[in-house]
Amino acid sequence: MERLALTKLNNKEYMIPERASGSFVFDLATANDEVLIRINNSSNVDLLLLNLKDGNNIQFEVADNVYLNVATLGKNDIKTFKITANVGYKSTFSAYFADFIHGKVKSDITINLNKEGGTCNWHLASLSMNKDNKEFDVSAYHNAINTYAQLDNYGVCRDEGKLTFSGICKIINGSHGSKAHQNAKIMVFDELSNGVAKPILKIDENDIEASHAAIVGKINDEHIFYLTSRGLSEEEAKRIITLGYLKPILKGFSDDNMVQEIENLIEGEM
Amino acid sequence: MSTLVIKNLHAEVDGKEILRGIDLTINEGETVAVLGPNGHGKSTLLNVIMGHPKYIVTEGTITLDGQDILSLTTDQRAKLGLFLGMQNPSEIPGVINSDFLRAAVNAKSEKPISTYQFYKVLDKATKELKMPFDLATRSLNEGFSGGEKKRNEILQLMLLEPKIAMLDEIDSGLDVDAIQVVADVIKEEQAKGIGFLVISHYARLFDLIQPTRAVVIVNGKVVIDGDPSYIKRIDQTGYEFIKTELGIEISKPDNNMNTVSIGSCAVKDAIK
Repeated sequence: MERLALTKLNNKEYMIPERASGSFVFDLATANDEVLIRINNSSNVDLLLLNLKDGNNIQFEVADNVYLNVATLGKNDIKTFKITANVGYKSTFSAYFADFIHGKVKSDITINLNKEGGTCNWHLASLSMNKDNKEFDVSAYHNAINTYAQLDNYGVCRDEGKLTFSGICKIINGSHGSKAHQNAKIMVFDELSNGVAKPILKIDENDIEASHAAIVGKINDEHIFYLTSRGLSEEEAKRIITLGYLKPILKGFSDDNMVQEIENLIEGEM
Repeated sequence: MSTLVIKNLHAEVDGKEILRGIDLTINEGETVAVLGPNGHGKSTLLNVIMGHPKYIVTEGTITLDGQDILSLTTDQRAKLGLFLGMQNPSEIPGVINSDFLRAAVNAKSEKPISTYQFYKVLDKATKELKMPFDLATRSLNEGFSGGEKKRNEILQLMLLEPKIAMLDEIDSGLDVDAIQVVADVIKEEQAKGIGFLVISHYARLFDLIQPTRAVVIVNGKVVIDGDPSYIKRIDQTGYEFIKTELGIEISKPDNNMNTVSIGSCAVKDAIK
């Protein structure tokens, strides 16, 4: 599938024009650390972000009536990065982040739902292993009425890996009709690995819907017994269960090569 | 011909002894009906044979064709030809049923099965079980109805072709038509010479699959190992005769429920 490039406005700013529709690609390796991407009104965009790098500070200005799906893969060594999205009237910011970064990582993801009807769907699948220490702080701010956020963070910790999912869903006073849902789930493989999930809700409005779920734990023994009773080794059983935890992230990726690369990373690491 | 031999098997769960000296032999080609009141060790026996980590064997032996299986892991037991169709199959999100089935088939064979061959076998088996093929593409047992889960267990039995298959209440959750479908498959597998150890509370399934023997487990022991006529007798008269004829007191399963019951005085019981 041929992907279109973003239009460069200056050294920092890029844009997708109004009413654009289609698949786009943006290679962060060729850009400054700090970039601002404007998605203009009424466009329908599937954007693949390539080569996320250390120190990246990516800001999305999502205008009105936009549908944006962003998919990216984090790998190699990245210490810090930041993603911000300002979401406009009846626009959707949907993001899929497959995390295979190594080392110590601190990230800051903020979605501001600034206008009525703004929606955010955030999906993260993260693998923390070999003493990795990763922190994902994913927050959504409901600054207008009828805004919606669903934040799903799924992770696997093994071999002394540490993984923290934090973040806030904040609904400010007056943002009635808004809905905020957070899911943080971490599967911990061994005693020396460490998973922390702390989804926080801050609600200052009555007429809203909000929920947050946090699950940190080891693989269910009954699941392992079920799979091993069919002849799969315990290792294979754990692998297949873990794949089931991480692989759903792939549905956000429309690029076959990227899907293959992520599959290879998941299968290879597990 | 394969033979599973269980001798003086004692097993406990959470420090509580459930099996108190089971002796039982199952030959390939036999179908053994396992009966007994709830909580007396039927499911425990099947789980212990398969190697569930929750159950601790404290005494006794289990051998398959002379080989000790208690020292083996669950997957090694499966590879030797043991199969357990579970009462409550696990729902495992994200694991695609057909991926799992293929991995299970490959685990048993030396050479991985080709995609074409696998789907041919799967298609034939799902048709025989009257299962919608899309069940194969969904997450393992997730969102399956009770009946679909049980059919999925039988599907695995068909694909894995064990020597001895154990079925734990495989008919619960199945409607009359589905019981017939499952029984037809079991009969086909019986004809291939697979040995069956089948737990059920209902005579209907047994009527259809015609066990060759019936065993009754009471108080963690086999108290009857005899001809299949016991199935009918128990279906009609219950377990009372075990006490009156064999003189065996059927102990009530321990349940940690409050001793207060309807008809007693809660306040009095509380201050005892």
